[in-house]
Amino acid sequence: MDELVERELTVPDGIEDVWESLAKPEWLGEDATIDLREAGDVRAGERTGFVEEVEAPHRLAFWWSAPGEEATRVELELDETGSGTHIRVTESRPLAILDGRDLAIEFGGMSGGPGPMALAGALR
Amino acid sequence: MPAADPADAVFAALSDGTRRSLYATLGERGEATATDLARDVPVTRQAVQKHLGTLAAAGLVATRREGREVLYRPTPAPMSEALAWMAEVGAQWDDRLAALERQLARGRSVSA
Repeated sequence: MDELVERELTVPDGIEDVWESLAKPEWLGEDATIDLREAGDVRAGERTGFVEEVEAPHRLAFWWSAPGEEATRVELELDETGSGTHIRVTESRPLAILDGRDLAIEFGGMSGGPGPMALAGALR
Repeated sequence: MPAADPADAVFAALSDGTRRSLYATLGERGEATATDLARDVPVTRQAVQKHLGTLAAAGLVATRREGREVLYRPTPAPMSEALAWMAEVGAQWDDRLAALERQLARGRSVSA
């Protein structure tokens, strides 16, 4: 099971302009950066991660995590509409993490904290 | 657990006000029978039982037998944490997309 958050936004700008704006990621945070190539660095505030997939100007997928938090996957999809660009963003936590957490809860009781962060740890 | 996506079952189970209040009551009590719970909500014991079945199918409650009674208890940790995560991350993306929208608008006024 994936835990998934999805948001959408339509703007009157052309798809190339939106893509360019994604690459100047002030919108992700004051000192945010995204190196828009496969395995490029992602930084936003205390979050760090890497780009998984780039398909300019349509798709960007990256993984990130804040210190001590589970890694999550973000995917941005851009689609041209008649009068602008439709942006769809999803952020998800993968199954492996859920399984780990469920185990921790089983062993640690219901008040148990977050479980092993195997994937987040592997990313660091 | 249901065969379909467990998240769908959880959201469907919690989309009903009576079930949410049953689930909250169970959370306060820790463990209760359907009869106990029927005293706290304005529906019949039969209706309570049906709602508990839906919560159980979504993995939100577990049961055990004690003598002639069936006791229900909440299994809140995995799912309440999941719901909290989705609410928090959703709010973060609302902010980020609003910022992206402002950033694009600034770009338009510069190039205009």
